[in-house]
Amino acid sequence: MSTEISSKPAVRPVRNLWHNLFGDWDRTQITVSFILVGLMAASPLFVRSPYYMGIIILAALYAFIGISWNIVAGFTGQLLIAQIIFLALGGYTTIVLLNRFNVSPWVGIFIGGIVAACAGIIIAMITLRYGLKLDYFALFTIALLVALRTLFLKWDFVGGAVGMYLRLAQPSAAKMIFATKPPYLYIVLALLVFGIVVQYLIYSSKMGKYFIAIREDESAAAALGVNTSRYKTLAVITGATLAGIGGGFYVMYVTFIDPTGLFNLGVNVEMVMAGPIIGGLGSLAGPILGALVNKPIAELIRGFLIEERSGITLIVYGFFLTASILFMPRGLAGVFQTLYLKLKRPSKDSV
Amino acid sequence: MSPAIFFQLIVNGLFTGGIYALVSIGLTLIYGVMVIVNFAHGEFLMLGIYIAFFANTLYGIDPYLAIPLALILIAGLGALIQRGLVQRVLDAHPLNQIVLLVGVSTLLVGLVQFFFTAEPRSIHVPYETEVIVLMGLRFSIARLIAFFASMGISLALYLFLRHTKTGKAIRAVSQSRDAAALMGINVKSIYTLTFGIGTGVTAVAGVLLAPNHIMIPTMGQAYSVIAFVVVVLGTMGNFVGAFLGGLIIGVVETFAGFFLGGDVKIIASMLIFIVILLFRPSGLFGRKRT
Repeated sequence: MSTEISSKPAVRPVRNLWHNLFGDWDRTQITVSFILVGLMAASPLFVRSPYYMGIIILAALYAFIGISWNIVAGFTGQLLIAQIIFLALGGYTTIVLLNRFNVSPWVGIFIGGIVAACAGIIIAMITLRYGLKLDYFALFTIALLVALRTLFLKWDFVGGAVGMYLRLAQPSAAKMIFATKPPYLYIVLALLVFGIVVQYLIYSSKMGKYFIAIREDESAAAALGVNTSRYKTLAVITGATLAGIGGGFYVMYVTFIDPTGLFNLGVNVEMVMAGPIIGGLGSLAGPILGALVNKPIAELIRGFLIEERSGITLIVYGFFLTASILFMPRGLAGVFQTLYLKLKRPSKDSV
Repeated sequence: MSPAIFFQLIVNGLFTGGIYALVSIGLTLIYGVMVIVNFAHGEFLMLGIYIAFFANTLYGIDPYLAIPLALILIAGLGALIQRGLVQRVLDAHPLNQIVLLVGVSTLLVGLVQFFFTAEPRSIHVPYETEVIVLMGLRFSIARLIAFFASMGISLALYLFLRHTKTGKAIRAVSQSRDAAALMGINVKSIYTLTFGIGTGVTAVAGVLLAPNHIMIPTMGQAYSVIAFVVVVLGTMGNFVGAFLGGLIIGVVETFAGFFLGGDVKIIASMLIFIVILLFRPSGLFGRKRT
């Protein structure tokens, strides 16, 4: 008797919790994202090897960068192909501030984000002022990437062609230099949580609805009174800021930056495009799902090969991109969404 | 600058521009017919130069005699890629088209790097350093052949598009896909054919580069970017525009290289590109696009 009575009120909170976490697809995506972040946060408990730890850190970083691209390309559908420009600018800002002006990366990373945001504003203003859209916009960003690469190759203040190394001093928390991997993991996970929250806030706000309206049909959105220029600019700025911050962390983690390594379309495919495309561009969980699939698989294949062959990662990424576009244009998130809706339908009928 | 240097730079520029023209004709043809920017374009040039390399080192074939081989092989590959991959995204969001082609480009670079390593290679031919001196101007034999070959191929392609039935069908599709389909043109096979021709001539440009160019698997990207500059300059989809644009960019780049140094000459093309994109995205030969 007593158990029956006490169990009844207990069921409701559980059901409420279940509804809050998995009640609809958007909530489910957020819940899954946080479960994945939690798993990564717990990973130092069972992953001992620094090599595997490194893969997890980079996967989390790629997820964060993927979110930055998802907001521009996924939500508003802008063809900002060379997103890695912002990452490189953020990275350069962080390391130049540290090496030349002794500014702590804890501040420098965010200044990097601001610098990238300024670049984003300039790019958005110029391209919108002159009405560059679609293919022309994509080509413009690529031209900018090539021009910036050449500029940085010649610019001695930022290290020229050699690039810049982190002066490896004693490990010091104040300078974001650590001897072990877990501190890096928790920093990047904090960034990732920030990214997930920002992305969700945008998605669920009015602004997010405008973004998606622009993607679906820009002229229709404009006809309905959406200030498309303004929202496209906002999307670029948000994406640029996040990518700049990610670039700052990336430089602190790999301790090195050079123009050909980052102003590079191949690296752009690996770090920016592959995750969201595999995971599902425009979805909430896509960048995380994709990054967690693509980075480990590329590393595993590289590890399995007896002989080190340089092309294998490119083959894997090329295959991922083409196969995703052809066979699951909405990515893993799209596949899971279909499954989710199938599972959910019966319970809906009963309610 | 003395007139001799000036004219020498013009000659060198036109020689470089001839190759650019050929690459860009391929890109503009594909864009004109399918309204898709082939982001994997430079990779087909890279494949062409590797074909010339292997024909030369394995079978001792003169690189210029490998032209038909490269044309047929790469046109076939291009047609396959069009039919198997590109055709499926023609009605998709432009972002999907670009991502697909970026994927193809990554895949091709990866495959070449995997099988033939990333090591730089070059071909040596007996005439590679020979020059003809004419009126004080120096003409490298290899580049002279390359120039006239690219002019010849461009002209042949132009005549093909103007005067043959298939060529007219290609132009009809580029003018209006629906009207062409109503006239009984098989639009799908025209697409495949155009992509094949476009990539095939680009591979030929690669072969023409072979005797005086170091090859690495990632070299295609630079040529993709140059071809983007040229086709936008000469109006996307405009055959003659791409041809002239190629020559112009070749000359501009050579002068920029002379004044600024070889490694920053790309800045000049990029500035032209950005200015054209901003102020006249319809290019030198374009009407206002809607």
